[in-house]
Amino acid sequence: MFKRLFGAAIAATLLAAPVQAQQLAIWHDLGDNGTKWLNEVGAEFAKDHPGVSIRPISYPTDQWFGRAIGALNTNTAPDLLFNNYERVIRVATQTGKISDMRPVLAAIPDHGFLTEDDLRVATFDGKMIILPVQRVQMAFGVRKSWLEKTGGQFPQTWDDARRLAEAFQAGDPEGTGKGTVFGFALEAAKPRDLVHMLDLFTFGAGLRHTLVDPDGNVVIDEPQHARVLAEVLKTYGAYKLVPPDTINYSFNEMYQVIEGGRTGMFRVGDWNVAKWDSQAIKGDFLVGPWPRFFPDKQNAVVIGGMRGVAVPVNAPNKPLADAFAAFLLGKPAQQASLRIMGSAVRPDLDMAGLSERQRMFAQPKWALIAYDFPESTLPWYPELEAAFHRKLLTAIATPPADMDAFIKETAAEMRALVKQLQARKG
Amino acid sequence: MPAMRREGVFYLFALPFAALTILFGLWPILLSIQVSFTDSATALQPAPAWVGLANYRAIFADPVFLAALVRTLAYTVLAVAANLSFALAFALLLDSALIGRGRLFFKLAVFLPVVTPDVAGYVVWRWLYDQSFGAVNAALRLLGLPAFGGLASPRTAMLALLIAELWHHAGFYVLIFLANLAILDRAQAEAAQIDGATALQRFRHVTLPQLRPAMAVNLVYAVIQFLKTFTAVVVMTKGGPADATNFVSFYAYQQFDSAQYGQATAMATVLFAIVLLVALTAYRGAERGRA
Repeated sequence: MFKRLFGAAIAATLLAAPVQAQQLAIWHDLGDNGTKWLNEVGAEFAKDHPGVSIRPISYPTDQWFGRAIGALNTNTAPDLLFNNYERVIRVATQTGKISDMRPVLAAIPDHGFLTEDDLRVATFDGKMIILPVQRVQMAFGVRKSWLEKTGGQFPQTWDDARRLAEAFQAGDPEGTGKGTVFGFALEAAKPRDLVHMLDLFTFGAGLRHTLVDPDGNVVIDEPQHARVLAEVLKTYGAYKLVPPDTINYSFNEMYQVIEGGRTGMFRVGDWNVAKWDSQAIKGDFLVGPWPRFFPDKQNAVVIGGMRGVAVPVNAPNKPLADAFAAFLLGKPAQQASLRIMGSAVRPDLDMAGLSERQRMFAQPKWALIAYDFPESTLPWYPELEAAFHRKLLTAIATPPADMDAFIKETAAEMRALVKQLQARKG
Repeated sequence: MPAMRREGVFYLFALPFAALTILFGLWPILLSIQVSFTDSATALQPAPAWVGLANYRAIFADPVFLAALVRTLAYTVLAVAANLSFALAFALLLDSALIGRGRLFFKLAVFLPVVTPDVAGYVVWRWLYDQSFGAVNAALRLLGLPAFGGLASPRTAMLALLIAELWHHAGFYVLIFLANLAILDRAQAEAAQIDGATALQRFRHVTLPQLRPAMAVNLVYAVIQFLKTFTAVVVMTKGGPADATNFVSFYAYQQFDSAQYGQATAMATVLFAIVLLVALTAYRGAERGRA
């Protein structure tokens, strides 16, 4: 009797082994929305993979870097990483342990919806370091009720935008008193803050580079670039169209100004729309391309990057992790991404449940222009950008009497620095 | 109990704390110093590339770091002087007969900021200084005074930061001074008064020398505190505007944030060495004074 029972127990254990629960850990920085999306996709994935569960863990971006780099280097990596392309570059550089996703992509039969730009943005150092899952679009937003109160229209050109900003500030559309509302919400404190703002106006105006071209040539004193740079700097300073404390603003402070109803024009990322449709701004905004600066250039909404999934080479369940990464490009995962995160890469998704503004991002009819990502090809770019940022901050704090001379001087300094950096880092 | 055995028991009890100090105090410092001798791109890898003193040469050739170092030292001198002067004056006021029943209230008022979470306190200060809706400029306007540039101007940002830090830290120094004042030998002051010494002379020649222990503790603590100023900068200025509050600890953090691990830890090591040197010098000075 005992032998039979023992045999049955062994048999039951062996039979149970193939369906033993497996858990895939995925580290991201998308907060609650990201976790909600990945949980939903995980439940869908489990239908074809019984016993497999997904465990999304969200970290603040700074912590995400440290943990990801540390874990990959100490062979305690999670199964998957999810983040912006440029952040995964840093993990790849610091660890050398990010898989090439080209074989995973090749095994997906219908991946033709990924554009050449998408694939270029996902590639670093000859390897596809992420499977692109979400395009990051950033448009120009204007508070609708303020437009109505001041009798304005969505600005088409930079001159329109400036006039509108002045009208907002003079008109006191919130009735909180003059000097309490501002034309634009911008940020400046960290290098990425200020240069990111400049990126949006520059690329949005149809130019292809902000500071350097792909060969490392400094472009800021070329006539069209210089015009955008001068206008952006004056917006922070001489024009007085942003809160005076903007020089110390990073993302959080900029969002406080936007969501606190203190600004008329601001950046709208596709990830902001779902929240701003229902909370904070409560749908009181219009979106469109960034203002046009030049008659010969098409203004556009900016593709500011690509969020995607990466698989560490030392992922504990690598084949399963690859399968889940591929699953994120499937229709159910993409549909959920569009609904919850506000962005996706597949064009064949159901738009029925989306708001009008979400649809504008999901099926863009406006012109799109993608960042050039100099950090992916020029290893010294972050150092150059930090020096450029420092120089621009000086100009915001103490506006130069002659902006053209300042830009020429800055360009000369940046060229000298490029030479130094190239000599040092190649 | 034989002395050897007594010492053995002492070490046995001290062992867990010593182990914790080594594990969580010394080991990270040593690791950080180790990283400062590696190439940033490989710093966090299991087998980093060693670059000798290259990171130290790089930071001492970096004008931003040198400016941050000078700025840090200048801010420390100003902040230590301001905090200790204010704390001493406030403690003397609280210790005097001039304040009667209000003593407890003022003690609480000056000490509460010390136990207030740093970030919450500095966020409020940032709002107070805000140029469009801040209370500081609103009050100045009411009084018909010119506006204060606060955190938005490179000329005033360091002063604005110093005031906020004084609000946060001074209560601790006041408390130390009060503890020392409580054990003063009052007879000496009374004798000096009978001998015709003025109030200022009594303070200078009788009270102040007796406050040397509190002064030494406060000086060492304040020097360490302000050389490492970080939270106020992160919350209020992020090193700006235009580097006006970019101190070494924040600059090192920025370098770390942009993956320059080798240089960031080299900066941290330099700051650590300065803190250690200044603190030891101040401590030695105080010890010598006591002898």
